[in-house]
Amino acid sequence: MGLTFALLGAALAALLAGIGSAKGVGLAGQAAAGLVTEDPSQFGKALVLQLLPGTQGIYGLLVAFLTMSQIGIIGNPVEVSTLKGLLYLIACLPIAIVGLLSAIHQGKTSVASIGVIAKKPDQFGKAMIFPAMVETYAILALLVSILAVFGVNGLNL
Amino acid sequence: MAKLPMKRVQICALKRDRRQIMKILQRRGVVELDDEVQQDDTFQRMDTTDQRILFEKNVQVAQQALDVLDTYAPVKKPMLAMLSGKEEMPLTVYDTYSEKQDEIMEHARTLNALAKEIAERSANIPKLQAQIEALVPWFSLDVPQSFKGTKTTAALIGAVPGEHSLESIYGVLAERCPEIEAVDCNVISSTTDQTCLFVLCRRENASAVEDALRTMGFARPSMPSTVPPLEEKSRLEEEILTTQKAIDQAKEQVAAMADQREGLRFAVDYYTMRADRYEAVGRLAQSKRTFFLTGYVPAEAVPNLEKTLEPFDCAMEVNDPGEDEDVPVLLKNNGFNDPMEGVVAGYSMPGKEDIDPSPIMAIFYYVFFGIMFSDAAYGFLLALVTGIILLKCKGLEPSFRKSIKLFFYCGISTVFWGVMFGSYFGDALAVISNTFFGHEVTIPPVLFDPVSNPMKMLLLSFAFGVVHLFTGLAILLYKKLRAHAYADAIYDAVFWYLLVGGGIVYLVGMPMFQNMFDLSFAVPSIVSTVAAVCAGIGAVGILLTGGRESRNPFKRLLKGAYSLYNVTGYLSDILSYSRLLALGLATGVIATVFNQMGSMMGGNIVGAIVFILVFVIGHVLNIGINVLGAYVHTNRLQYVEFFGKFYDGGGRAFVPYAMHTKYYRIKEEM
Repeated sequence: MGLTFALLGAALAALLAGIGSAKGVGLAGQAAAGLVTEDPSQFGKALVLQLLPGTQGIYGLLVAFLTMSQIGIIGNPVEVSTLKGLLYLIACLPIAIVGLLSAIHQGKTSVASIGVIAKKPDQFGKAMIFPAMVETYAILALLVSILAVFGVNGLNL
Repeated sequence: MAKLPMKRVQICALKRDRRQIMKILQRRGVVELDDEVQQDDTFQRMDTTDQRILFEKNVQVAQQALDVLDTYAPVKKPMLAMLSGKEEMPLTVYDTYSEKQDEIMEHARTLNALAKEIAERSANIPKLQAQIEALVPWFSLDVPQSFKGTKTTAALIGAVPGEHSLESIYGVLAERCPEIEAVDCNVISSTTDQTCLFVLCRRENASAVEDALRTMGFARPSMPSTVPPLEEKSRLEEEILTTQKAIDQAKEQVAAMADQREGLRFAVDYYTMRADRYEAVGRLAQSKRTFFLTGYVPAEAVPNLEKTLEPFDCAMEVNDPGEDEDVPVLLKNNGFNDPMEGVVAGYSMPGKEDIDPSPIMAIFYYVFFGIMFSDAAYGFLLALVTGIILLKCKGLEPSFRKSIKLFFYCGISTVFWGVMFGSYFGDALAVISNTFFGHEVTIPPVLFDPVSNPMKMLLLSFAFGVVHLFTGLAILLYKKLRAHAYADAIYDAVFWYLLVGGGIVYLVGMPMFQNMFDLSFAVPSIVSTVAAVCAGIGAVGILLTGGRESRNPFKRLLKGAYSLYNVTGYLSDILSYSRLLALGLATGVIATVFNQMGSMMGGNIVGAIVFILVFVIGHVLNIGINVLGAYVHTNRLQYVEFFGKFYDGGGRAFVPYAMHTKYYRIKEEM
């Protein structure tokens, strides 16, 4: 039973954060494609901005992978009690939920930033920072999830 | 090194030397022109718009011709064309080319005319094909479509919509004009869309018959052929063939002119420069025999400029810019720090009060990038690739070269941190040795392994953050001291040092914190007490001075309290450095995922092949994602956390009057 909950947590982390990133990168990609039709030389910059909301999916993958290796889905099988499994599930929630929402909002910010470089290509440095600000919260959530997963692993329950 | 000191330069020279002097100044590219000089009766600015437009048009013509060549006679570009930079052109070649300008432009116009011909003729072909298409139903008609009839008969040739049989047409005619008998109808072809008819009747009945047919929707062809349709078809086909031939011929002509490419490229550069020159001339104040030029020049370029202008009869005056002038900013740093110039420019050039932050930023930049990318093998690859580019490609644009150098140093730093954390393609070594050789080999980390000691790594990240932030605060302190604002220095920097520094030391001394991070050292209680007192002094100081610009004591206190609230800003700034841990872990863990995926097929031959495939693709992907992440977040830490502490920005970059060429670098013999 514990294993089920823990795997559900890992799956949620990869699922929700991945969905968020897919949506964010998709949004930004549409704007980037629009910019490139007007000015193909901006491809590199547009690509960087498009990729920024993609990191949440990677964070989700990271937490999912950590969890799976802790509970023995990957590697050596270990005993996971129901309580521990639930704790793993909770530990995965921050990156799952924050990842989902922050990636979508970061995608929208990226769209706006692509608008900035469409009009002022030399302001790339500033345009890049706005989406990166949103990312902070995904990073904080990732941190909490990682620390929690490691912490749960150390508990004797 | 830092911001280069700028001088104001004024040059007054004879008009007959204008052309020569402007040319030399453009080649030197050290003067930024401005139009400070007031116009009066003697000194007037010249309107050079017409010449400029003429030259810019030439640029367009040459560019268009180049595009034509690229379309019809493409040259294969080498894979890494963008890395080869601009070709160098010695001055002698430049001169021979400039003499051939008219000839080159003639070629350009020919090329454009050919392209136009090709386009027009190509557009003609579908039109001809459509005409043939329209003739298909009429092929069995053996008179021209325009055939009107004989002396006594009239021919009605045309189509009615829909499918009709001969009987139904006779039926309609009989119904509409029963009195006419001598009518001969022929159905040429009939489809569901239309029925093509050839109707013969007596001349005097023609209009009545046509009216009758019109009720069915009869219409003559819009462009009746003057020869029988089949003949018309072969004529049209012939025409298509000749058109095609003409297109091919024109294309061949274009291809034959491929050797003009260099000349055209030169023309683009040449006319761009001339247009720029006329733009500059337009900024000069000119009298009948002299002209007057003002601008900014970096102090270090002054002696050289003086020497260059020696042969001319001219007066040059150099002085320091005034206090309230908007002096342009040019940064100069040594090889280790100059990649930061691009990063600084990406935010904003340093303002009047700012120092150039590049030298201080550089070390932090490389270290942060290294911690986030955090894999020795990845770092080695990054440094290797960028190092080769730096060695092989000498002709790179200086700014592009600096970006490459940025990644070179970041790569080296990454190798260092990778060794510290014991990561080489993640845990590739352990996985390979385990899967394929049966016993595990690992390189132990020099410092510690962040995946198994995340709290330690978090602490290290925060420590770097505090150092980084305090360095920023130190620059603020320096700025205030340099401006002799000693009180501000204490209020805005020292108090914050006391508050944040004291707070951190006190926090580290607390048992809770010690437990959390498993620290092995204890802070003596006396130190904790002193730290708490310092933090208290800082807090009270900020509370009292934070709102010092307000006169009202109550308002002042409130504003002070608000500035004290800024301590949350410091908290979030420090927490923000946790991204060093998060991104570092991301690199390592994703690398581990790929290594594990690769090793799933076991230690046989198939397993080895799968492993190599997964390994190469996976790690390339991981490098791509994480270089981007490390770059963006290192920039963010510099821009938001670091610059936020002291940097005003808002400076104007130095844009010299120079050769802004696209294809060639004109080499200057000094």
